[in-house]
Amino acid sequence: MYQGIRSPVIHTPKTLNEFNATILRYPNARIWAGGTYIMSQKEYYPSDSKDSIIDLGGMEEMKKITRNDRFVEIGSMVSASQLLYAGKLVLPAILQETLETLASQIVRRQITVGGSLCIPDMRLALSTTLAILDASAEFKFYQGGKVSTHWIPVARMYDKEGKLALGVDNALLTRIRIGLDYGDFHSLFTVEDPMRNTEKCVIFAFQANRSQNSLSKVQFCMNFPTKAFHMSKDIESKLSSLTLPIHPERVNTISYELVAELKKQHSTITALQLERGRRMFESVLHKLNSKTLQT
Amino acid sequence: MKIECTIDGKALSLSVNSNKPLSLILMEDVGNRSLLCHCKGEACGNCIVLLNDEATLSCVIPAFRLKDATISTFESYQKTRLCRDIERAYLRNGNTPCPNCYASKTLIIESILQTLTNVRSTRTGPIMSRPRIPASLDEGLDEKAIIQELSLNTCQCMHMSELVQIVETALSFRRRKRVPRN
Repeated sequence: MYQGIRSPVIHTPKTLNEFNATILRYPNARIWAGGTYIMSQKEYYPSDSKDSIIDLGGMEEMKKITRNDRFVEIGSMVSASQLLYAGKLVLPAILQETLETLASQIVRRQITVGGSLCIPDMRLALSTTLAILDASAEFKFYQGGKVSTHWIPVARMYDKEGKLALGVDNALLTRIRIGLDYGDFHSLFTVEDPMRNTEKCVIFAFQANRSQNSLSKVQFCMNFPTKAFHMSKDIESKLSSLTLPIHPERVNTISYELVAELKKQHSTITALQLERGRRMFESVLHKLNSKTLQT
Repeated sequence: MKIECTIDGKALSLSVNSNKPLSLILMEDVGNRSLLCHCKGEACGNCIVLLNDEATLSCVIPAFRLKDATISTFESYQKTRLCRDIERAYLRNGNTPCPNCYASKTLIIESILQTLTNVRSTRTGPIMSRPRIPASLDEGLDEKAIIQELSLNTCQCMHMSELVQIVETALSFRRRKRVPRN
């Protein structure tokens, strides 16, 4: 049925050193983490791609989760399911919520943290949440026969449309570092499944610190999976200076400012997505008000 | 690529393309009849199999990850006593999934039951001799999580509330079976 289709050569490095040697020898090889995104592409099989595959499944050093009093480090080959299990003790609540909403348990066993962050053209909930948590990712860049290591904030890994933009052809995400100094208020909204209903999906993550009725360290990210990965320093700083509770009119004004900003910067977002995004944003601010008034 | 694995209790040595999805291997190379189509990334959720006793979407498992794996499809699962609990639950609720998604929905329900009863099934062997191993790294499932699991299959032949009811009924059968009798 598939005569003429070449079977790709599979390389299975066990350590980073072995990986380095393999990627420098086969620079066009495809790096394979969990494979859920690659295999869910229509043109995946059969295809006439001649590139070999480097399977990261055997690299035990990228499957570790470590924590100290300042940060948690997660290996890029840790699966969403393993992280969720460990997360009950070591991770921010919003990250656990994100992992739960990411996919069903059956799929979570296969999704890896690194694979989810390195999807080339689509952003899922994990990238959104890690961006607002100020997480950083350790990359190994392979250029001109040399290996260099860089820490890049997750928020800067993507361009404004949410496409992976590292600036090099060959790179390996080895681990993620999440600081433990995060806000006491957080919220995550996901409407529609980003894989099945990409055109209608909106993912919104928000975190802030409430102290003495004032808002500080506000960070939010509005993600339209294939269209925009939006973080607004302008609106974040406006919110950071506000006193709680925020007046409903002010909530309204800021939400429309966000919509105007989105319209200006990302013309492909549909009206439905914009309206969903605006309502999510308003809803978070009202939830913030309600929490303040309760205490 | 040559792969040694066990499919439905049979030790096989397959010569397949290294990146070929498991669903296609089962359909084309093994001739399994419980998988009806390959959705090509549509995420239809109709290709669930048990890979090393864990429910998995076979369309996202490449051949090179199958070395020494144990795969159980619905063909062998339906012969086990575990399947009876779910079949009885279908009968009790007077509702059965359509032929297209029957195998897949039943295996998803089995995966949920394993998590809820915290016992992982072995393919064969008497129920009381099964090893007690935590079924999943995620502990427990609430109704929202059960619905999330069931949503993996996109076939609309049954309402979600009916499926949740079936899970509850099957769970009660399964728990009853696990009560040790003197």
